Amino acid sequence: MSEATRAAPSSPSSGWPGLSLLRRCEFVLALAAVGVLWHVASAVAHNKTLVPPPLAVLRAWMGLWREDLPTDILASLTHLGIGYGFGVAAGLLLALLAARFAIFEAIIEPFIEMLRPISAIAWIPIAILMFGIGRAVPVFLIFYAASFPVFINTLAGIKGVDPRLVQAAEMLGASRRMIVTHVVMPAAVPLILAGARLSLGVAWMAMVAAELTGADSGLGWRIFWYQEFFAMDKVLAVILTIGLLGYGFDTLLRKLQRGVTRWQPDPAGPDR
Amino acid sequence: MTDAQRRWLPIPVFAAILILWEAGVRHSGHVTLYPYPTGVTQAAIRTIRDGSLLAATLGSLHRVLLGFGIGALLGIPLGLLMALVPALNRAMSPIVDSLRSIAPIAWIPMALLWLGIRGNAALFIVAYAAFFPFVLNTIEAARQIDRKLIDAAAALGAGPALILRGVILPGSLPIVLTGARISLAFAWGSIIAAELAMGIKVSSGGSAAVGLGQLMVSTLYIRRDVNGLVLYMIVIGLISWAIDALMRRLQRALTPWR
Amino acid sequence: MAIDMPAKIEGRGLCKTYVSARTGEKIQALNNVSFVIGVNEFVSIVGPSGCGKSTLLSLVAGFAAPTSGEVLVDGVTVTAPDPQRGVMFQDYALFPWRTVLGNVEFGPMARGVGVAERRAIARRHIEMVGLAGFENRFPHELSGGMRQRCALARLLANEPEVWLMDEPLAAVDLQTRNILQDELLRLWGDDADPASRRAVMFVTHGIDEAVYLSDRVIVMGRRPGQVKEVVRIDLPRPRRSLRSSVGAGRFVEHIWGLIRDEAARAIVEEAR
Repeated sequence: MSEATRAAPSSPSSGWPGLSLLRRCEFVLALAAVGVLWHVASAVAHNKTLVPPPLAVLRAWMGLWREDLPTDILASLTHLGIGYGFGVAAGLLLALLAARFAIFEAIIEPFIEMLRPISAIAWIPIAILMFGIGRAVPVFLIFYAASFPVFINTLAGIKGVDPRLVQAAEMLGASRRMIVTHVVMPAAVPLILAGARLSLGVAWMAMVAAELTGADSGLGWRIFWYQEFFAMDKVLAVILTIGLLGYGFDTLLRKLQRGVTRWQPDPAGPDR
Repeated sequence: MTDAQRRWLPIPVFAAILILWEAGVRHSGHVTLYPYPTGVTQAAIRTIRDGSLLAATLGSLHRVLLGFGIGALLGIPLGLLMALVPALNRAMSPIVDSLRSIAPIAWIPMALLWLGIRGNAALFIVAYAAFFPFVLNTIEAARQIDRKLIDAAAALGAGPALILRGVILPGSLPIVLTGARISLAFAWGSIIAAELAMGIKVSSGGSAAVGLGQLMVSTLYIRRDVNGLVLYMIVIGLISWAIDALMRRLQRALTPWR
Repeated sequence: MAIDMPAKIEGRGLCKTYVSARTGEKIQALNNVSFVIGVNEFVSIVGPSGCGKSTLLSLVAGFAAPTSGEVLVDGVTVTAPDPQRGVMFQDYALFPWRTVLGNVEFGPMARGVGVAERRAIARRHIEMVGLAGFENRFPHELSGGMRQRCALARLLANEPEVWLMDEPLAAVDLQTRNILQDELLRLWGDDADPASRRAVMFVTHGIDEAVYLSDRVIVMGRRPGQVKEVVRIDLPRPRRSLRSSVGAGRFVEHIWGLIRDEAARAIVEEAR
């Protein structure tokens, strides 16, 4: 995620040991600057509900840990885990079938093309109608959202294997089965992982949207719960938690991506 | 399977599915419970006749375009700034990335509080969603311009103005346009989400300017019309697809050298 | 032209036509091409762009089938790739996710050789091509010349009786190319007993390279691809001191005279 924003036109690295320290300071300074601006804004607004001051939010956040936050996080992660897990599995399976059987691909392709523009969010009302407000809505939505990027990327990855590599393997005496396991699969891994990362992104969004509108548990739902009481400092605390968690997961996947595809020439790795 | 066969195969398959779907629902007897093709068509005719579909669609689109414009106006300059000033980039990029990972509709409570329910809250969400792809893509676009092209232009005698106009702008256009495409798609998704959230969670949400999202909510809770819901889903999908197709065409037209 | 040793590879009346994906017209890549390569011979194929030399090599390798005619190796018709016909590709086609060692041991692994033994085989060949110490590097960490050596080691690890090379030195700079040519000759047995040499089919754009390396040069013409002339290079071996000898120069001029006009036309006609 932070790949694209990291590499600006390069400044010559002077090798000065203090430089990296200064760089890290820059981020902290920027953070502090944002904090100060925020504090000023809230002082000017003079309305704790309208613009909760940063310290109040921080205090609320720490307090939430003793209250509902752990339960909410657990609920959200459960929704995500089940939905994402099954979504990725479904995407992988369908892609493998489509890669193996041309008929299957010919049949399923138009459906994917038709369903793809219909985002998970459009399914919310029908999901609420089918399952009622509760856990099923976010799980279903996450599952739906997560399966597309994985399917598309896996299929593209398998089909996009350099035919020269297959030829090289044939020339070296590899059997059909060995070509699939030792050439096609490893070659497709970068795109598959990119798909998994994309899926996580859309799954996360779907989770928040679904919990906000159609669930009775989880971080998204809790946002509006606190809003009912106009506890905006708590609302902001939950929002920031959502942001942090989402960023954390993406970073995890990015590190996995980097580690598994060490052999890629491009150090930044497939990002989008 | 020949290419021609591949292209025409969806039609009989699709027709078969529609027929089976219709037959299945009618046979089960639960015609009011499940959506079915002819029911969806009837809902379409009804909502087109009474103008509600058009009004809602235009309402949503109107806010999408506004939000998209705001996102572009704020995002592109920031992106350019961050690309040209490495220190700013290093300082801001973690903040930008963190904010980016907060799903736009999570901000609805704050937006509602600040901007009220008269549609501006939804506009804020859309602008927020549209903003980030522009920032990211503008940075990437500026970064990837081949230095050699700039050097070649300078060697041919071009001054800074010509270099900007003739090398940097065309060079960054493809990626910025891709950013615009992503941004618009994202904005469309966000407006629906925002309208849904407002419709469901805000008790007086129905009195705000009605977009597709609110229309879906009222169909869900008041009319209880499953066919209508499926219809709106299809409309949302169609518009998504149309937006993407349009943007791609625009991209090809503006950057024919790609 | 008769050769004074048993034939290893024989091409009889090879024709290859295919339909251009872009324009839909039928293109005759090869028209009635016949040739012979002896058991211990180094034969180069040269010609202007579009003369079908790479197509010819892929027919011999078994990656494609001729529209008519046949390729015989040891009297047996070629139908599929085989470890006995090792191929070096222009872009190396190294498996990017495998280290140098992993690439070189792929052939033995495909043949079912046990881990310890295939590692030993691989190391031996890695040392033979001068890559000792780089066993655990990934292809993207290697220079062009080193990748070429790795591709060569991978090919040699199967100890094939036929070496098929498709412009293997096209992607390296001229100085590296000269060094690698000498290494190739050494590994082939340029300064050793002729009976120890393998049959080599070497496709290249470089006429001086062809003259320097080969016993015979098959000169092809384009549109349609056919054999114009077969030139016997009777320069003595070992060739290392003969790089810019007068004798070599005469051969180069003769061959260049055969293809110069067509090469000039090819510049325009081969545009995508």
